[in-house]
Amino acid sequence: MTGSRSPFPRSWSDRSFWPVIVGGCVAAFVMVLSPLAAIIWVSFFENKIISFPPTGYTFDWYRAAAAMPQFRDGFFTSLELGLVAMLVSLVIGVPAALVLARGRFPGREAIQSLLLAPLIVPGIVAGAALYMFLIEVELASGVQVAMTFTGLAIAHSLIALPWTVRLVTASLVGLDPQLKEAALTMGAREFTAFRLVTWPLIRPGVVAGALFAFIASFVDLEKSLFLVGPGMTTLPIVIVNYLEWSIDPTIAAVATVQIAIISAGLVLTDRYFKLARAF
Amino acid sequence: MSALAITGEDSLTGGQPAPGCPGRRRRRSTAGWLLFPSLTLVLAGLILPLALMARTSVAHFDAASPDLAGFTLDNYVRFFGEPFYLMILARTLVVALSCTAICLVLGVPAAFVISRVESRALKTVLILATIIPLLMGNAVRAAGWMVLLADKGLINSALLSAGLIAEPVRILYTGSAVVIGLIAVLLPFMVISLESVFENIGTAYEEAAQTMGAPPWTAFFRVTLPLAMPGIFSGCLLCFVLAMNAYATPVLIGGPSFQMMAPKVFEQAIKVYNWPFAATIALVLMAVTLALSVASSLALQKRYGVL
Repeated sequence: MTGSRSPFPRSWSDRSFWPVIVGGCVAAFVMVLSPLAAIIWVSFFENKIISFPPTGYTFDWYRAAAAMPQFRDGFFTSLELGLVAMLVSLVIGVPAALVLARGRFPGREAIQSLLLAPLIVPGIVAGAALYMFLIEVELASGVQVAMTFTGLAIAHSLIALPWTVRLVTASLVGLDPQLKEAALTMGAREFTAFRLVTWPLIRPGVVAGALFAFIASFVDLEKSLFLVGPGMTTLPIVIVNYLEWSIDPTIAAVATVQIAIISAGLVLTDRYFKLARAF
Repeated sequence: MSALAITGEDSLTGGQPAPGCPGRRRRRSTAGWLLFPSLTLVLAGLILPLALMARTSVAHFDAASPDLAGFTLDNYVRFFGEPFYLMILARTLVVALSCTAICLVLGVPAAFVISRVESRALKTVLILATIIPLLMGNAVRAAGWMVLLADKGLINSALLSAGLIAEPVRILYTGSAVVIGLIAVLLPFMVISLESVFENIGTAYEEAAQTMGAPPWTAFFRVTLPLAMPGIFSGCLLCFVLAMNAYATPVLIGGPSFQMMAPKVFEQAIKVYNWPFAATIALVLMAVTLALSVASSLALQKRYGVL
């Protein structure tokens, strides 16, 4: 490799590399961030019908949004669902991750892919399938599950579980199982060994897993779409339903609140767990 | 379930058993119980429902009763027999492939820059700027694009006042709007998968190539990118799968005339109540996505060895 087969003339090439690469990077971030910036900006517009440039700025739309029952209910339903999903995924996901990270055993790969499957099966397919299943359960048992909080909680626990499993497993990779063996050999009880050896090592992964679980549940749209019912709707679905009719500063204010919550959650997570490791 | 637990008991200590270690036997038997609740949730909440969906897709459609009855391939015959549905499938494929290609072109430089930035603070900011949109949910971003792309949106207003156009250009509710919206949704996934790959490759190979006289572009295209091929492939695959299944973006910024597969599943199920046909569309969507993913990874495996 002497550069003789370079696809570009050398002088041009030497100088163009970083400008082109950085240009591409800037273009990428403009694509990704501009819709978020736009919605935040519009939420402060004074005029109800969005036009550029705005006639003035105001905070009134936040108050207006908070006063609208559908947004308030949607927000609190999403908040409760996120917390339930987070708790369930921690209670059942952390033990599973501990077993998975202990080492290789027959069927380990299969179990791991099964636990991560909710991340891979498309949301709309999984949501429709779960809805059909819950309707069949209802026909068989007479108990309504679809369109109730329970149904949504099942769906959201499924959304959250793979994140907890993945992040806790990731924080355990490279952890020497002999550390705990050593503690046990030296007479520590199982629980003491867990508390003093394993727990401090997995704590960042557990915190990150919990926050990711909450966020993944809070923003989910596709899986919940079939399962929501009258009086039981999540915030993203309220937003989509509203947007199908109109777009105004009120909905922009709601979206901005969601942006603020998710951003705060992720900035917080980053302090415990290098975010790039989550993917 | 217990079968899984039993097979899992023998070598939990990672092939390095510590004989005579107290508590080992107890831990072996707990392994099954630790896995049981999460596996139950996935089996009952995902795997069984998918099996039921497969069954539903071959049932007769009877608007009067939700019971599953009969066995018929009519739903599949209908899907593959009507040009209307084949067209929606083809459109979904074209949108997914073009989004993936554009995401690759924009994602490679972005990921490369993040992986090579020396300032830790700037790197953290860039990674947060990637991950925050990734986990933002599609509804909020679709709203942002509606503000930007509408006839009286920011882009049209700016172009009008700059005198570049005489009247608003229709962007919202077209195929291009959907592609733009989806790129913004998918790009963070591409960037974040490639970033770790470039990070792991490190700078040593590039530097070696450049020391031996390769100009930056040659080093990039003939050394760095081939090394990153497995990561590039998995990033593309992720984007493709997510684009195939996109719901919020096509519904909100594609409008009613630009129809794609995922919104069609919802429409058939909730608006038409034809659950068997909704199940068929969902399974066709999943099968086509899976088939293309497997085929492309096999083709790439042939070309680049084990991925």
